Amino acid sequence: MSPGDGGEPRLFLGVETSCDETAAAVVAAPGGKGDSAGTAGTAGTAGTAGTAGTAGTAGTRVKILSSVVSSQVKRHAPFGGVVPEIAGRAHVELLVPVISAALEQAGLGPTGKGPTGKGPAGVDALCATIGPGLVGALLVGVSEAKALALAWDVPFVGVNHLEGHLFAALVDHAELRWPLAVLLVSGGHTMIVSMEGPGRYRLLGQTLDDAAGEAFDKVARFLGLGYPGGPAIEKAAAGGDPTAFDLPRAMMGEGLDLSFSGLKTAVVNLVRANPAASNEDVAASFQQAAVDVLVAKTLRAARECGAGGICLGGGVAANGALRLAMQGAAGEAGLPVYLPSRAMCTDNAAMIAAAGAWQLDHLGPTPLEAPADPSLGLVVA
Amino acid sequence: MIVLAIESATDAAGAALADDDGVLATATVESGRRHTETIAPAVSWVCRHAGVGLGEVGAIALDAGPGLFTGLRVGAATAQGLALGLGIKVAMVSSTEVLAAGLAMAGGGGGARVVAVVDARRGEVFWGTFGQSGREGDDRVGPPEVLAGEIATSDEPLVLVGGGANRYAHLFGGLPGVSFAPAVLARPHPGVLALLGVRAAGAGRTVDPREVVPTYLREADTRVNWESRLAPLGAHRTGSPGQ
Repeated sequence: MSPGDGGEPRLFLGVETSCDETAAAVVAAPGGKGDSAGTAGTAGTAGTAGTAGTAGTAGTRVKILSSVVSSQVKRHAPFGGVVPEIAGRAHVELLVPVISAALEQAGLGPTGKGPTGKGPAGVDALCATIGPGLVGALLVGVSEAKALALAWDVPFVGVNHLEGHLFAALVDHAELRWPLAVLLVSGGHTMIVSMEGPGRYRLLGQTLDDAAGEAFDKVARFLGLGYPGGPAIEKAAAGGDPTAFDLPRAMMGEGLDLSFSGLKTAVVNLVRANPAASNEDVAASFQQAAVDVLVAKTLRAARECGAGGICLGGGVAANGALRLAMQGAAGEAGLPVYLPSRAMCTDNAAMIAAAGAWQLDHLGPTPLEAPADPSLGLVVA
Repeated sequence: MIVLAIESATDAAGAALADDDGVLATATVESGRRHTETIAPAVSWVCRHAGVGLGEVGAIALDAGPGLFTGLRVGAATAQGLALGLGIKVAMVSSTEVLAAGLAMAGGGGGARVVAVVDARRGEVFWGTFGQSGREGDDRVGPPEVLAGEIATSDEPLVLVGGGANRYAHLFGGLPGVSFAPAVLARPHPGVLALLGVRAAGAGRTVDPREVVPTYLREADTRVNWESRLAPLGAHRTGSPGQ
């Protein structure tokens, strides 16, 4: 039996606490575990038309029943960045209400049905982000998910946060053609991955210094625009001229790796040399430079790997200028762009549950002895 | 009522089951620093070997601290998940109370006042004082020198118990009337916690899982973690998560 060929849909409860969002979600995946080897095998044939059909089977048929995100932004804002100890404390405080809300919105109750008032909520597996991220934050979600898995006697699945972002785009799109060139860009990560199918990744390029989102945060902080930097820069940039200042586009001609540390420094030097420069113009020029590099590198990567489409993931993928520019450039290149909704770009647990559903079928459950791994990397070819 | 205890407030971590007749099973690692790898398997182990299904557990006992922050959060999140999943409540017990009760159950103390001292790292300790009729005041945090100063002004015999007392034994040892509990009692024991949990749950001293909050006693360190944001990216690692 292959997924979807019968049986009740299975329910996956996702938990995400890797940084400063406390999130839980319930997704439904087709029942049974059938085509595991088949999907992974065929999907791996890069760029051939024959794989288009199979592409639809793995993350895309997941249905999101609920997705609850409680942001801690206000708790961290006074410090201009994420404070690990505050994040850890907040997760402990917020996770039970967030999980309860996710279960409730999905039509489930934590105490389930039955005369005893105890018992499973109808959830078939617990999926929690196991890394990368802040270790003290990860441990809260991992520990709570393991405990729920024990209480309900269902499998625990430890999910790679980066893989969750890669699955985010699949959830919203039914027809995909492998491989996909995925730009994964957030406050902690900036990488371009060739996704040759679920679970099959090739790293094409990555930042050699700062993550793009980190540059947004640092520039916003330097300009006094507030935290988090991404939305703050975008808002200021909306009122500015992106051509006002010519800022460096690092490594544009060289390979697929990226660098944002020089751009950040250039903004600092620019403002020091031009104290009268408006924040709006500086923000717009900075954003344009960052977007230009991200788009150019992703397009080049897509060409080099023969991609059937381009995907975006990660918090910076919620940036309107980046989304617009990527759509424009990919359109010119004749490539479809799969943009997750903004809510699926930023950290959420639906993407963790979606990745976990695939992982459970293809790699099996994660042992309860598993550690959280703050520097977990993507398993790449 | 069967109570499942979750202990992870110090270097030691473990789980235990107890009912009105006593402790049913205990699993402890004495100096495991990776509590999230220990606790869930320990819960599973004590249940299996005591022949108790989690559905039979009537309440969770949690050592809510004070103690090491990460360990406290692992314990709190585990207790929350179990209580939420099983539809039961949590009895929160102080780490110092577990230490003092462990000493009393072992027949130690001899009627003297007991000061339970937990190592708080960064040159500080948490402590709580227990007399004949139980706890005297709230748990506190401070440099061991402050505690030593207070002990020096007391003219009663005192027994010190806990890892914090042993670590700073050089400050306390010379003080008149002070003696130390055996080292084997230095860490809060899950079996003792489970017994205290049976008592607390029987008296209705429990909370809903969403009210479970560790006792930190210290403000959060608010340094922003700029450095750790440069985690290794897409490293060419092999193996899947969790292996």
